[in-house]
Amino acid sequence: MKAVFVTILLLLALPSAAAATQGHAGPEGLYAHQMAHLFFMFAMGLLIYWLRRRRLIDQGGWRLIQYAALFFILWNLDAFVVHLLEEQVDVLSISRPERWQMRIETPANWSWVGVVYYLGKLDHLICVPAVVFLFMGLRRLIRAAPQGPTKGALP
Amino acid sequence: MTLPFMPIWCVDVGGSILMIVLSVGALFSALQLRRKEPRNIVWTYLMWVCYALMVFAVSRSAGHILKQVLILMGREEYWTPIRPYSGAINTFSFMVVGSVTLFFERTWTIYQGIVRDRQRLESAHQESIYLNQNLEQLVEERTRALAMSEHQYRRIFEGSKDMILVTGRDGHLLDVNPAGLEMLGLEHRPENLSEYHFSSFFQEPQEWQALWRGIDRKGFISSAEVDLKSPNGNRKRVLLSGGLEGESSEEEGGTIHFLVKDIEQQRMMREQMAQADKLASIGELSSGIAHEINNPLGIILGYTQLMLRNELEGSDRAADLKTIEKQVRHCKSIVEDLLNFARTSSPKKELHDIHAVVEDVLHFIRQHSKLDGIEIRANYDRRVGPLLMDEKKISQVLINLLMNAIYAVGGRGEITVTTGMSDNGQKAVVRVHDDGPGIQSRDMARIFDPFFTTKPTGQGTGLGLSVSYGIIKNHGGDIRVESTPGQGTAFSIVLPIPADFNGR
Repeated sequence: MKAVFVTILLLLALPSAAAATQGHAGPEGLYAHQMAHLFFMFAMGLLIYWLRRRRLIDQGGWRLIQYAALFFILWNLDAFVVHLLEEQVDVLSISRPERWQMRIETPANWSWVGVVYYLGKLDHLICVPAVVFLFMGLRRLIRAAPQGPTKGALP
Repeated sequence: MTLPFMPIWCVDVGGSILMIVLSVGALFSALQLRRKEPRNIVWTYLMWVCYALMVFAVSRSAGHILKQVLILMGREEYWTPIRPYSGAINTFSFMVVGSVTLFFERTWTIYQGIVRDRQRLESAHQESIYLNQNLEQLVEERTRALAMSEHQYRRIFEGSKDMILVTGRDGHLLDVNPAGLEMLGLEHRPENLSEYHFSSFFQEPQEWQALWRGIDRKGFISSAEVDLKSPNGNRKRVLLSGGLEGESSEEEGGTIHFLVKDIEQQRMMREQMAQADKLASIGELSSGIAHEINNPLGIILGYTQLMLRNELEGSDRAADLKTIEKQVRHCKSIVEDLLNFARTSSPKKELHDIHAVVEDVLHFIRQHSKLDGIEIRANYDRRVGPLLMDEKKISQVLINLLMNAIYAVGGRGEITVTTGMSDNGQKAVVRVHDDGPGIQSRDMARIFDPFFTTKPTGQGTGLGLSVSYGIIKNHGGDIRVESTPGQGTAFSIVLPIPADFNGR
């Protein structure tokens, strides 16, 4: 069992070409990551729809969790755009001339792309509120939940 | 363009630390919720979401912090091999959150069904336990309630004054209450009750056929008036309702439940009232005619008598005038009877001993009638005191009744005159009974009608009973008749006893 575990770790740490399988070098990892962002976004949209259909948002805790899902959607959108721009080497070139400076070069008339990228890098301003809403929602659900273990009452 | 890196660095590092702290806090909250309700799948869902978000937050935030530290240290190249792992873990955590959420709605719906089934199962289980523990007591309670209900309905059945009858669909008796046995003339419940058919108790069998057809068609019959045979041979008017129970009307089987009410008394009262109305109408008409005829008759009689004075006794003319006088007197007698019947002349009431009056009448009858082979008996109740009456008119009534009785018995028979009291001593009754052939049922309704007679032409005017009826009514009394064909007839005169003599 231990040998199998070590082998898997080595394969993950030292990937090399394998003639019998298809190679996954280059952008495939990025595409998978971007698709995961889209999937996450879709799942959060579905959660909002489900909460509203079941009328759970009438309760304060679930209403805050709905806001958390909304902020996660916005954050995924932001992250998706930033990842996309980082790969657009033709329109965006980023360098660090100084330690506390960032140089963003764009073709003429494309300077707004640089501004979007710079603002998009501040993504924690969106994902932190999302987790704050999630935390607050859970605390409120704890307060509203019945005291002591029950036999599986429906919410 | 060149932009400051400080804002990005601060937000990245500060945000990453907050993400780690808050995601761990959220996970603990979700675990706390789940501990409160371990079987609530919604809390399980939130727990898995928080697990995935914490993994994502720790992986991403730790990576970002490490990246910023390496940048500050000028060792940004160390971040390059770490970056794919951090990105892969982030991707994995997104997928977990998305998958859990995607399939959760379906799982939650199924879970709801499971919870509902479990609640129903627990409820059924509790009920089963309760029944097991209390079965004996429940059976005892139900049995007691059933017995009480049976007792109540049995009391209604046994105690009802109306007939409650159960027959098969073919009309054969199955059960009948005591009142029904009495009404049907059965002294006790026969062993072979089912051999009796309800139709055999009907006076007119076709009435049963009509009833049965109604029940067969509609399933019930409501308030039908029919005549049943009375135990004494007369007919008895009843009000009958019934309904088919059990099987549908198309199939054989089932029972018919009847409720039968004796309305003979009401019918008799109704007929008496109709008779009284009829006689009152005839009386008004008769009195009008009698008044108009009486005066011309008086004039004819007067002139006839005047003319008779001038004629020689024994001449033909005198004989003719006497014939006219005799016939006019006969006409006046009829008119007088009509006026008596119409109650136009008020009786001159005085206190008289009824027994003396009866004795006088019997004496008169014995003197003036042929009574060979006819025995007249008198049976007096001496408690009956003096009555307020017009002696002559009451005598006339008694003579009428006795003459009718003598005619009824023919040449041989027995006539009984009895006196007595009724209605707790408030009324006196004089009963004249004969053992003649009785009155035919078809004639019963007409015997008090004026000019109705069963005697041959010339032997009766048909005014005797109607005049008697008028006289007795004028005394505030009543005259009743009971007759059984072949067993004789009894007329009863009922007169009020004055308050000073009725014991009040």
